[in-house]
Amino acid sequence: MIGKCFAVFCAVSVVFSICTGNLSSLSDAILDGAARSVELSLSLLGIMCLWGGVMSLLRSAGAIEKLSWLLRPVLKLAFPDAFGSGIGAEEITANVSANLFGIGNAATPLAISAMKKMQQSNPTPDVASDDMITLAVLNSSSLDLFPVTLIALRRAAGAADPYSVIVPIWITSALSSIIAVVICRLFAALTKRKKRSVA
Amino acid sequence: MIENIASATLPLVMLLVSLVILSSKKPLFDSFLSGAGEGAVTAAKLLPALCALIVSVQMLFASGIADAVAELLSGFTEKIGIPSEILPLLLTRPVSGSASSATFSELLSVYGADSFAAAVASVIMGSSDTMIYIMSVYFSSVGIKKTRHALPAAFLVMIFCILFSSYICRLWFT
Repeated sequence: MIGKCFAVFCAVSVVFSICTGNLSSLSDAILDGAARSVELSLSLLGIMCLWGGVMSLLRSAGAIEKLSWLLRPVLKLAFPDAFGSGIGAEEITANVSANLFGIGNAATPLAISAMKKMQQSNPTPDVASDDMITLAVLNSSSLDLFPVTLIALRRAAGAADPYSVIVPIWITSALSSIIAVVICRLFAALTKRKKRSVA
Repeated sequence: MIENIASATLPLVMLLVSLVILSSKKPLFDSFLSGAGEGAVTAAKLLPALCALIVSVQMLFASGIADAVAELLSGFTEKIGIPSEILPLLLTRPVSGSASSATFSELLSVYGADSFAAAVASVIMGSSDTMIYIMSVYFSSVGIKKTRHALPAAFLVMIFCILFSSYICRLWFT
């Protein structure tokens, strides 16, 4: 997927530059881009190092379990089947907590083990169950409480106040997540009704 | 008040971390070090993909096609209230984390880190995720072929996120 992005961007730019006749600025951009990527990963290196440490410390201190305990009653509403049967509920809470802390590296394996658990109790193994879909859609909208990489990129670009976007991000994330769950529950209710009327 | 909350989050996390270290008997600093090492490795592993993608995104902007497409669609995007400059980000965000980071940082340097487009791009970056990547990884991990309403639902959420980001930035920053 990334390879296709790269290839399409390059091809489109070269063809467009040939048509408009500004190939010289394009060759500057190629050399510039390579140099900038090093600058950028260097400026990310420090913050990702620090944040990786902070998050692993909080995890071994049990902060994620505490957050999971707080989240359970809310998540029960979003995943009625998983929490009703208890299958996959633990993995789902761990995944959502990891997302809130911005530990994407930990969130993906947790989500996959939640999917595997839910698949075991799925009567139709090639069709996704309601809760599986809710989990995937919820993960497609970010829940990150501390978007540190984003702040680091804004700082590197010289933003006057890199933090000014945090509160709008919280509001948008919260609303997106609520809407994700509501849409998934609505779709689930609609398809259930359809199944019943066919039977 | 609200600005204070935003700039206080990181210091508060650091305070929490120090309190946790001081109140616990476990060797927590060791787990800090191992996590920091993993974070550094992740960041270093990012370089090859970031290098290729930043080069290609920078080419996209330097060739003028990003601007040309943005201008072409600006009438439409203005009507629905989103800045047309963020279109490249809308293309890369659902697909890949490193591609969207590359596009995002390029947007900031081309249009200015304090521009309206940069604010909207920041909120979109912070409140959405790599939808198509997540969908394919999650469902293929358990061999599911029929994803039912997963993609339409995720797509609707993404559209809401884009529209609402522009809306909240107009309220917040102007």
